[in-house]
Amino acid sequence: MTSVLELKGVTRAFNDYIAVNGFDLTVNEGELRCLLGPNGAGKTTSLDLITGRQKLTSGSVHLRGNDITHMSEQQIARQGVGRKFQVPAVFKELSVKDNFEVAFTRERGPFANMAVMRRSDGEARYNEIIEIVGLGDRLEVPAGLLSHGETQWLEIGMVLMQDPSLLLMDEPTAGMTEQETAKTSDIFNELKGTHTLIVVEHDMSFVREIADIITVMHMGSLLAEGTISEIENNSVVREVYLGSEGIS
Amino acid sequence: MNGNIYHNRKAQWVAYVAVFVLLALVPTVFDNPFTLNQLARYSVFALLAVSVSLIWGFGGILSLGQGIAFGLASYGMGMTMQMQFQNPEYDPIPSFMLTNELETLPLLWEPFLSTPVGLILTILVPTGFFVIFGILMFQARVAGVFVAIMTLAMLAAWYSMAYDMQPFTAGFNGISPPLPLQIFGGEVDPYSPLAYWICVGVLATLTLATKALLHTKFGLIVQAIRDDAERARFLGYNVAYYQVVVFAISGFLAAWAGLCWVMIVQYVSPTSMEIAFSISMVVWAAVGGRASLLGAIIGAFMVNGIQSYLGDELQQVWMLILGAIFIGVVLFLPRGIAGLLELILSKVPFGRGPSGAQWSAETGTEEKAS
Repeated sequence: MTSVLELKGVTRAFNDYIAVNGFDLTVNEGELRCLLGPNGAGKTTSLDLITGRQKLTSGSVHLRGNDITHMSEQQIARQGVGRKFQVPAVFKELSVKDNFEVAFTRERGPFANMAVMRRSDGEARYNEIIEIVGLGDRLEVPAGLLSHGETQWLEIGMVLMQDPSLLLMDEPTAGMTEQETAKTSDIFNELKGTHTLIVVEHDMSFVREIADIITVMHMGSLLAEGTISEIENNSVVREVYLGSEGIS
Repeated sequence: MNGNIYHNRKAQWVAYVAVFVLLALVPTVFDNPFTLNQLARYSVFALLAVSVSLIWGFGGILSLGQGIAFGLASYGMGMTMQMQFQNPEYDPIPSFMLTNELETLPLLWEPFLSTPVGLILTILVPTGFFVIFGILMFQARVAGVFVAIMTLAMLAAWYSMAYDMQPFTAGFNGISPPLPLQIFGGEVDPYSPLAYWICVGVLATLTLATKALLHTKFGLIVQAIRDDAERARFLGYNVAYYQVVVFAISGFLAAWAGLCWVMIVQYVSPTSMEIAFSISMVVWAAVGGRASLLGAIIGAFMVNGIQSYLGDELQQVWMLILGAIFIGVVLFLPRGIAGLLELILSKVPFGRGPSGAQWSAETGTEEKAS
């Protein structure tokens, strides 16, 4: 297996406070990796560092062997990294369809896109995406009117529309009902294998549904890595994160 | 699907073209030169409102500095027309420079000896300035209210400059070119139907071109950036680049307004860069509906029409009335007149029934961008 993403000694310090400290992570092709950890463990910051939203204090990030450490957000996105935010970010005044259309990014420059009449392309692609995330009956609705769960799916769909080689999902089930969470785990299981994903998640039942390998962070560093049963039985993990009663 | 004709693109184009055709027909009905000149002035204001609608309503960037492009272009046009009056042989220097003890024509004025060069600079300089100013702001990710503050401050700086550089700009008095614009061997009398048609023609051409641009994917991405710049950035778009381009286009539109303005008033002074004037442009667009170019045009005509036909006593408190209109719109009609129209039309069935079904099949994939 080839590694899609490789983090080496990634560190991010804010004055005295070290948010991420010498974090190493390797994610392989087709893998779905879950990133766990208590609040403040550095999960979201790690995603920020991978996607260029924050700059590394030291360390390096490689995507399929290319050094993307010092690239800007849009350059990293163009390298094939898609990201879903913790608080769902969609284009609220645009229809669901237009949201997909914007996410279909074959041309990036403003002048190139002046020659692209809307919806001239991308259609076939979003039909595929709608198969996965649903929303087929909501295409004309402004994204701002979607329910919370639908907004999450729309954003997942937009990230897929980008056709990235690596998908970063920050708490995709936050605020979802049980049924919505179940549907989301179906979506992720469908993506698994054909896509490479990193999922930050708190909901352990959801993690159990989808995860191959789990990476646990604590105080900005790697605490443990392993399959779900290895993690559940790891005494250090139980102590810092899951509580002495284990995973509930 | 129960559509709203307001969102139908074909209907939108029909409405736009209908309005411009009506405007173009005005001189065949009224031949009062004063009325024509006044309506030409409103078309210039309408173009300014379109530039605000583009940058604010679609781009999500509240610029209070549209007067910079308008004012720079006004000076460019004023200088061009002034130099048409001067004779390089025996009267090369405008008289206000002589009273300011300038003995040779300043370098700044040299290019305006040529009318074509003068006209090109009239459009190019303001647009170029917006490119540079845009790069400085948007590359540094200045956003929201800070853009409003920066553009306002820049406008104030240009105003003082125009005011203070008396030998070059005639300061507070401004420049009054003695002759109307001379072009293609003729002249454009400010009170003629020709001047009116030029103004309406420029408004129509630029508005339709802007509307077409908004229907491209570029236009869609600009609106996406308005809704969530960060999301767009993480989709791989260079947000600053898009913002600079749309800002420059809005400056380009305002520059054309400045050119037309001096053509029909034969006068330019620092008032073209007054803060209150640039804020008025924002009010016109807000009243008409900033998310609609046509709405902005209607807003400009309406607000200025109301102002012209108020009695003299009410003129004294015009700014208060304008403020009240603005507050009223913000509170009760956040999408302006266009939003009201959208609401009314949503009650009208469209795209249903046997003949309507075809329409909706054909236009079902269309989306709103008025």
